[in-house]
Amino acid sequence: MSQIMIKDALQQRELMTSGHLACPGCGGALAMRMVLKELGERTIVTMPACCWSVIAGPYPTASVQVPVYHTAFETGAAVASGIRAALDMRGDTDTTVMVWAGDGGTFDIGLQALSGAAERNENILYVCYDNEAYMNTGIQRSSATPWGAWTTTTPVAQPQANPKKDIMAIMAAHRIPYAATATPAYPTDLVAKVRRAKSVRGTRFLHILAPCPPGWKYADERSMELARLAVRARIFPMLEVEDGQHWRFTMDHPGDPVEPYVRAQGRFRHLDDAQIALVQERVDARWTELLGRVMN
Amino acid sequence: MSELRLEGKDLPVSRTTTLGNRTGSWKYIRPVYHDRVAPCNQKCPVGIDIEAYLNLLREDRLEEAVDLLLRENPIPAITGRVCDHPCETACNRRELDGAVAIHAVERMLGDQALTRRVAASPVTQREQIGVVGSGPAGLACAYHRNRLGYAVTVFEAADEPGGMLRLGIPEFRLPRAVLDRQLEQLRELGIKFVCGTRIGKDLDWSLLASFDVVFIGTGAHLARPLGLAGEDHPAVRQGLEFLQEVNAGGRPDVGRKVIVIGGGNTAMDCARTARRLGAEVTVAYRRTREEMPAIREEIADAEREGITLEFLVAPVGFGDDSEGVVDIVFERMVLGEPDASGRRAPVPTGARFEHAVDLVLLATGESASLEALPPSVQVYRGSIAADRLGATAEGRYFSGGDVAGHDRTGAHALGAGKRAAIGIDRPLRAQRASAASPEAVPAELAALSLGPQGNLSMTRWRHDDPVRRVAPVDEVVSPELLNLTHFEPAERHADHKPNGAAATTFAEVNLGLTRNEALAEAKRCFNCGVCNGCELCLIYCADVAIRRATGAYRFEIDLEYCKGCGVCAEECPRGAISMTREGL
Repeated sequence: MSQIMIKDALQQRELMTSGHLACPGCGGALAMRMVLKELGERTIVTMPACCWSVIAGPYPTASVQVPVYHTAFETGAAVASGIRAALDMRGDTDTTVMVWAGDGGTFDIGLQALSGAAERNENILYVCYDNEAYMNTGIQRSSATPWGAWTTTTPVAQPQANPKKDIMAIMAAHRIPYAATATPAYPTDLVAKVRRAKSVRGTRFLHILAPCPPGWKYADERSMELARLAVRARIFPMLEVEDGQHWRFTMDHPGDPVEPYVRAQGRFRHLDDAQIALVQERVDARWTELLGRVMN
Repeated sequence: MSELRLEGKDLPVSRTTTLGNRTGSWKYIRPVYHDRVAPCNQKCPVGIDIEAYLNLLREDRLEEAVDLLLRENPIPAITGRVCDHPCETACNRRELDGAVAIHAVERMLGDQALTRRVAASPVTQREQIGVVGSGPAGLACAYHRNRLGYAVTVFEAADEPGGMLRLGIPEFRLPRAVLDRQLEQLRELGIKFVCGTRIGKDLDWSLLASFDVVFIGTGAHLARPLGLAGEDHPAVRQGLEFLQEVNAGGRPDVGRKVIVIGGGNTAMDCARTARRLGAEVTVAYRRTREEMPAIREEIADAEREGITLEFLVAPVGFGDDSEGVVDIVFERMVLGEPDASGRRAPVPTGARFEHAVDLVLLATGESASLEALPPSVQVYRGSIAADRLGATAEGRYFSGGDVAGHDRTGAHALGAGKRAAIGIDRPLRAQRASAASPEAVPAELAALSLGPQGNLSMTRWRHDDPVRRVAPVDEVVSPELLNLTHFEPAERHADHKPNGAAATTFAEVNLGLTRNEALAEAKRCFNCGVCNGCELCLIYCADVAIRRATGAYRFEIDLEYCKGCGVCAEECPRGAISMTREGL
């Protein structure tokens, strides 16, 4: 077979409706659509403040057809733990409780609650759809913002000076049973990981790269292409980690140069060739480090 | 509806969907599905919807694929063997991992067609059609006229129909059984063949007066002398005449050493035929391998069979040797500037040498025989003067193929015969339409065309395309319109599989593809420009605004909600979706 026919890999059910308020080309909206297709109706979502707080619809509307609890910014994992406990009390062990949080609610503000839940190995699925800044409030940097990126709080004169936080290593250090990275650009890979996550008990963590046209500053139609470029260039490797110890790649990462990915985005427009070379160097160094984990 | 309460207060719960938000109003560009033209389709001289039959085959709808092929091509088992397949040169897959083996797939479908029982086409029209010449041009015209409901009679000078297919193509490339069965099917369709009758000689043109329209497809068989001293030596023969003798079952003595002059398919056929008769054969060509007009696979086969190719040599004369041996004098050439054909022209160097051989076969091209034409048919520069639809200045006569100066391949002749069938139908259909019949006359030929430079589609002329076509755009799909991300490498099947036997028999050399191999090739097709229902657009729509549909198209876009992000058009692997300005 020549074309990779993926239509049969996805469930036909739709638990998301049109008319939601995501920007055109939103990677986060597409991620939710694909994840819910796989999780199905028996899902309860907790949602700390993030883009999706808006995408889910203003009161009294909802764009997803499963229960969603809007929570305070730092409490996604804590509320999910509570819902899980209540369901367990009622003998409902089938329903998946999912936290759906952005990178702000995961890497920064929600990290304490996430760490607590992971440490207790709460039986929840935590999904971080990562658009690499506080996009909803107007593109402020988060600790998921990559080095060199412009945001409104890291202007071109002083772009993001710190590397992106290694959230997968943090989660692995909690020794949770299952953690994985994914992107909606690779739907079969993504739903396979959701299926896997659904089947595991304990804390499961999915880190989904969600390209953001207004925040990253590229043409709407290129969302999937950018996610693929990030994977191919080893900027966002596709991984699974079992029990925090067994790391493995779920696809090939040919190691294309980072430059096309960087150049395609307005948030990196100020970077000169030397700085892009530095981005490449950092990506290469992290890749080497990652190979060490995957090998052992 | 039970409300959630906490400490005596109602908790706000959203219970309606977001469908009230008509987010479609955000967009300023919108996606539209449409069918563009696959490059193979435009390049096919016959005008076959290759992409569509490959798609049917991909879906394992073999019989429908055969039907579709037969709509445009009367003799696919033959073209699947002898066509020089320019479709594959145009294939967008070429750069990735080799063109789809279209030619070989066509052969498999053609062989499948040969197994069918054919019912006679009902005659629904009163006009009688005469066809003179039963080569590819005449056969195509006859076939399409027959399928349009006309009574057709084909006149052939030789004892059996087929024209150049029978006379010029050796059995090891086109087995007689295949040719005969193909022609038998044309008879079963109701086409009448009158053989052994050369119009203009055995029978006067005036005796065709009972035919409302006569199509002239008499081909080009006339030997073109080189004009060299000693050319009339008995050991110097015209290649085509030699092929005719062998193809008719003759096994002439060719001696030990044979030289063939020329670089086209006739030269290759002569060389390989002489080889089978036991000779040591050299092909002498005045340019180099790159300029050879012969089909690449035939050149490869010739070399595999032990035939020597000698380049940059041209004969300048023939001397008489003893005992029927001929001395052929060659002059060494070099390549100069490109000539009118675009190929670099051979330039003499003055250096000469001689070979003594038993037989020289001349395969340097043939001319159309024009002396026996009806007086009212005009000739221009060695060919019948006919327009694109085959019409001559004299309204009753149409013409196409080699005799009308078209490119000298069977495929071009088939295409010309088909165009003439449309050309003949046009005024007739216009007459019927004016007689208060609702039948439409397509005004613009462009609407029938498979791409701006493509041949005409008989299917479109008949308005009965079984494959749904949505908003066809007369634009050929360039590689830039494809998204190759969604394809993985899949190696092309060797489409030319020599049987491995020594070149001593006339058994067919190329074994062709098995059905499974052909199916795998169909799956390699990108389906350039035409939706094949892969659903990537639907999968990648973040707005859940694309739905499966059963109407005119496989999908419909809900423009009430589509925000116009363009991801669907960008991700479509085959260029079947475009973004257009909102409101236009």
